[in-house]
Amino acid sequence: MTPTTFRPGRRAVVAAAAAALPLLGLAACSSDTGAGPDLGGGGEDEGDGDSLPQADALASGPVADESAIAASAWATAIKEKDQLVRGGTVANQVFSLASTTGDMPTGFDAGITQLLAKYILGEGGEKKVEYIDTTVETRETMVQNGTVDCVIATYSITPERLEVINFAGPYYLSGTAIQVRAEDKGSISGPEDLTGLKLVTQANSTGIQAIEENVTDPADVQTLPDNESCVAALKQGRADAYVLDQGVLLGNSAADPDVVVVGEPFVDDPYGIGLSKDQPDALDFCNTFLQEIIDSGSWESLWTATVGEVIDGDAPEPPVPGELPV
Amino acid sequence: MDAIRENLPLLLQGIGTTVALTVLGYAFALLLGTVLAVARVSPIPPLRGAATVYVEIFRNIPLLSLLILIAFGLPDVGLLLPYFWCGVLGLTLSSAAFVCENVRSGINTVPVGHAEAARSIGLGFFGTLRFVVLPQAFRSMVQPLVNVFIGTVIGSALCSAIAVQEVTWVTQTLNIRYAQAVLMFMIAGAVYLILSLGGAALGGAIERAVAPGGRNRSSGRAALDVTAGAQA
Repeated sequence: MTPTTFRPGRRAVVAAAAAALPLLGLAACSSDTGAGPDLGGGGEDEGDGDSLPQADALASGPVADESAIAASAWATAIKEKDQLVRGGTVANQVFSLASTTGDMPTGFDAGITQLLAKYILGEGGEKKVEYIDTTVETRETMVQNGTVDCVIATYSITPERLEVINFAGPYYLSGTAIQVRAEDKGSISGPEDLTGLKLVTQANSTGIQAIEENVTDPADVQTLPDNESCVAALKQGRADAYVLDQGVLLGNSAADPDVVVVGEPFVDDPYGIGLSKDQPDALDFCNTFLQEIIDSGSWESLWTATVGEVIDGDAPEPPVPGELPV
Repeated sequence: MDAIRENLPLLLQGIGTTVALTVLGYAFALLLGTVLAVARVSPIPPLRGAATVYVEIFRNIPLLSLLILIAFGLPDVGLLLPYFWCGVLGLTLSSAAFVCENVRSGINTVPVGHAEAARSIGLGFFGTLRFVVLPQAFRSMVQPLVNVFIGTVIGSALCSAIAVQEVTWVTQTLNIRYAQAVLMFMIAGAVYLILSLGGAALGGAIERAVAPGGRNRSSGRAALDVTAGAQA
């Protein structure tokens, strides 16, 4: 038809659209899985670093000798630019979560990163970290091409990954576990009960392989990009069980009584620090660092302040750095 | 390359899902978008307003947010669709807004005189659209609609975020296992490139087929024949 000369008040339209959007947003929010576990931050961070859950662990963190740093070209380069560039995520509730108050990220991986920065750069070094976002797609590539000095991101050590990069550690032994809706906890207790069920796991996790190797004939395996989507899928009945790292699942149970973790972890999942093969000295340096934070008690203190918030019981025996499981 | 060879069936399945998402999403978007465009140029103000509100909302909401909203927001109001159809619905709603604007601008390229002439010979609103305005408008819409198609192809990759097992999802999954990101994503990129180029080529062919030049050449020949006949 002819171009209409009368346009229904453009402002009114924009206003209506603007008013409608928050409504859509509200619909989305209602599927929210509630707040994550309180990691002891208290929510009142002053930005001084002392109120962080991992503050005690950082305070007890060791600093490397000049000679140790001089012996490693990798550490010397970091010392020279006075900054550690870490690849990882800042969106993981328990391991590495960005602060909303402009403070340092909190969590176990974040703490390991800050301890490493302090170890190389000295007192106050824990603040000199540049956090670069890596995803599961980009982790190996970013280590290989030197975009990041290291990747500390719940990074499971696997034979395939060891072919392209080095891993220091393991610094944490996780396990893959199963989460179900509260009403199903009587019928599912282990991977053998998952046959024929719809499973969900995170896209950037080793849960996929854990399912392939331990579950016979699941009905289907959905992968979603984040924990919140997985919990929503589980609660809304899109999936019957959520398979992932136990620490994360326990965080969900702590935040939401509708989902429970059943049974014991059925796959070991060792986390390591991803390092470039072009910097072979970095491997020994980081393993020494891990041994020193274990010896100084920082590792245990960090575990208690972060993962310990969502797992019952005392800190486990730390793994032995350098003893790769594969 | 072993990663590719061993998982070829999975990859092909992913390509099939991507094609299905794109084709279904785009086909429904063409239908819905055309209906919306007709509403936007209709003489009924409430209809115009509703279509405008629709376009402004769905043109400006990021597709990823829309998909997550459909997949995990709708079940809370009692509508649990399979992931694949959540993806199709998201692509449709989003692309339809763009289709609507393209169709509308195509309609606006038809001179007012044509519509007035159609009205004066007694055609109604739909008759005018159907026989006079839309056929002419369609010519100028082909390229913009190809752009929307390419947008739909690329948008289908976001469906991996709601567990639709299309090419991006397959490459992500294989990458977890083989840690070969660059190779995997080059393959995924090639798939999207081929799909987009295919769409563009098809669009080009359609455009040539409906171009006024094509018509004129044939009618020009007819005119020559007439003159030739006159000389004979």
